[in-house]
Amino acid sequence: MYVRFPDAAQGANGVKMSVHRRTAAAVAAAVALSLGACAPGGGSADKNDTPATVSTDVAAAGDVTLKLTNFWGGAEGEWIKQVVGNFEKKYPNVKIQATTEDWGQLNSTLNLQLQDDGGPDIATANNGWQSLGTLAKGGLVLNLDAYAKAYGWDTEVPTTIARQNRFTTDFTTMGSGSWFSTPMARTSLIGLYYNADKLKSLGIDPPRTLADLEAAAAKAKAAGEVPFEYGSLDSSTTVLLGVQALLADKKKVNDYIYGDPSVKATDVAMTDAIALTKKWADAGYFPPHFEGIDYQTAVANYVGGKGVFRWEYTGSLGLSAQQQGHFGYVQLPQQSGSGTVGVGAAPGAMVISAKSKHPDVAAAFLDYLMSPEAGQAAADHGLVPAMSPDVKVPAQSLSLTDESAAAATLDSDDGYVPYFDWSSPTMLDTLGQNLQLVLAGKLTADKFTAAVDKDRDAFLAGRG
Amino acid sequence: MSTSARSTSVGSATGAPVATDGARPATSTAVRRRSRRRRTRWVGLAFAALPLAVYALVVLVPLGQSVQYSFYTWDGVSTPSWAGFDNYRSFVTDPVLRSTLGHVLVLICFFALLPIVLGLLSAALLTRTKQPGMAVYRWIFFLPQVMTTVVIALVFKRIYAPDGPLNTALRAVGLDSLARTWLGDFTWALPALGLIGTWVTFGFCMVLFISGTSAISPELYDAARTDGAGPVREFFAVTLPGLRGQLAVALTLTITAALRTFDLVWITTHGGPGTSTLTPAVALYKAAFQNPQVGLAAAIGVVMAALCLVIAVVITRVSERD
Repeated sequence: MYVRFPDAAQGANGVKMSVHRRTAAAVAAAVALSLGACAPGGGSADKNDTPATVSTDVAAAGDVTLKLTNFWGGAEGEWIKQVVGNFEKKYPNVKIQATTEDWGQLNSTLNLQLQDDGGPDIATANNGWQSLGTLAKGGLVLNLDAYAKAYGWDTEVPTTIARQNRFTTDFTTMGSGSWFSTPMARTSLIGLYYNADKLKSLGIDPPRTLADLEAAAAKAKAAGEVPFEYGSLDSSTTVLLGVQALLADKKKVNDYIYGDPSVKATDVAMTDAIALTKKWADAGYFPPHFEGIDYQTAVANYVGGKGVFRWEYTGSLGLSAQQQGHFGYVQLPQQSGSGTVGVGAAPGAMVISAKSKHPDVAAAFLDYLMSPEAGQAAADHGLVPAMSPDVKVPAQSLSLTDESAAAATLDSDDGYVPYFDWSSPTMLDTLGQNLQLVLAGKLTADKFTAAVDKDRDAFLAGRG
Repeated sequence: MSTSARSTSVGSATGAPVATDGARPATSTAVRRRSRRRRTRWVGLAFAALPLAVYALVVLVPLGQSVQYSFYTWDGVSTPSWAGFDNYRSFVTDPVLRSTLGHVLVLICFFALLPIVLGLLSAALLTRTKQPGMAVYRWIFFLPQVMTTVVIALVFKRIYAPDGPLNTALRAVGLDSLARTWLGDFTWALPALGLIGTWVTFGFCMVLFISGTSAISPELYDAARTDGAGPVREFFAVTLPGLRGQLAVALTLTITAALRTFDLVWITTHGGPGTSTLTPAVALYKAAFQNPQVGLAAAIGVVMAALCLVIAVVITRVSERD
């Protein structure tokens, strides 16, 4: 941008004009040149065929080095390090170079990294249209159907988890069709944490139903406690989605998120869920001035002993081994009484780059990530294991014992529903913004549900 | 010098042996001088070629690409489809995107107008008589300008927190009814963010105006005082006209800063509550990096760039007019 200030503009007017004009001409020429070129880059020939012949024999592949880019730090970083080490021990001919990037950073650059010849062979993507769907549609990640067949993923992975990794190859539908990513022997759920010490001193048992929870919250409030630690400054949606999973029909939620236009947001209890959230807010179940509290502060407050319950993603409280003994977790059953349904997904969708020279070895690693060994490694690092029924969890960790039990229940009930924001790329913003409006009393529950439908339907219409 | 000497000697060698025509040498000198000037220009361009090429590569080409992308619907990966002016039209059809322009107008009041008024006032007060410790005042007020926005945003997030210093202070003096969740309040979040901007740009404006005032000839002030002007009259008759250049600089920089506001909003409110503090720059970031809407992001960027350019040009033109 060419900005001139009056101090500098001492020259004769004519000279100044011609400089301006020439700059304008240069800009115009540059614009014309680039416009003259064809449409923007990308759009490489959409190659979405699965490999014709695949091998599951890793030892026979010779010396192979794979690059793995992931967004896991902390305990998750330790976990992947151990899993990579175990895999390399199992197959000494394979070396895996793992690189860790910040979640937001990797999400916004993965499409560029996968287009690079020196890019990663394996990467963690984000499920949904926003990331995985776009990468699959652009032909940047491998169609894994052949491997799913070779390794039997179709039968081993719970259907509600498997669907999260599938897209039809015309890319109009998520939740069915070909495998483009795999989950792992870990899961990330939305559920209810409770402060075990507080419940004990209030004389309340951990709730087993939604009715129990409401009774407990009323009792806690009467005793001068904050029932739910929560802050809405950066539009946290865990309460809403946690409640929705208790009220909604599992199949309908899945269908809604996977883009079935005949299912509307009212059919998936969105209005009931937001109304209950608002009811709790009005009853003073959230902390005073929760609209000015951000997510980090709310988490710190809860771990620091404020509030009795908190709706949260598993693993996000960052509890130390000692604290894990003082916080419990419940995956409440459905209000209707028909089994347990929870919002949950693998904490990352594992993809293989379409440019990878060793897709067979990469697929073997993906399969290993879903193995019980990887699940046990997760539990050893205090992470919630999944698809590993025989996993051993340290007994003194109340929260991890509860979380693992919840994952096991969801595995056996096949009761997962995906994160609601997968239904459209802008859904997370829509939910968050309108949730703040409802909590401020500026939007009714019905209008909230209408805004959710409008967002998703606009996206479905645009995708054709 | 040597070039000129050589060309003169060459000229006389090729010229007529005897200067019969008085006008002729003069004409050929003029031609030669012009050709020399042309050569100098080419040499100058040759020196400028590399920087120009770099400029074209890192500024003009991306600019052109952005303009191009803005006419497509594109997720950044798969084949783009032609969208015509749809991305630009969403500034009219999308109420949320449209509202970002209104938010920017509010921010301009806080980032540009308020600091300039305060800066003029403080400059007028501080320069009237020599105060002890002037440099310290200047240093203190200029400090926010050199601080990273991220740091400023985090500090103010704490100040505006429900139990933060601001609310504590209000409650301490009995103004409990004024205490509120500043950043979580639909009415107050945007002004609260705006005041951070005022705090940041005020010192810059003040320092700029103080240095501008010191460049005004003291004789003008003497003349005004002789004519019986009071401090107010003096300010409007001498100081303000003398600061026209500085005002243009301050306006251009602060208004474009308001237009580009991103980090402040991103760190404090993410554009919320609702969309009440969403700015075009935040909308651009969300479209480009969170949702695969590269075309829309490019259109927002182009509109912002055009607005910045228009504002700069208008301010320059107006301030230069006599």
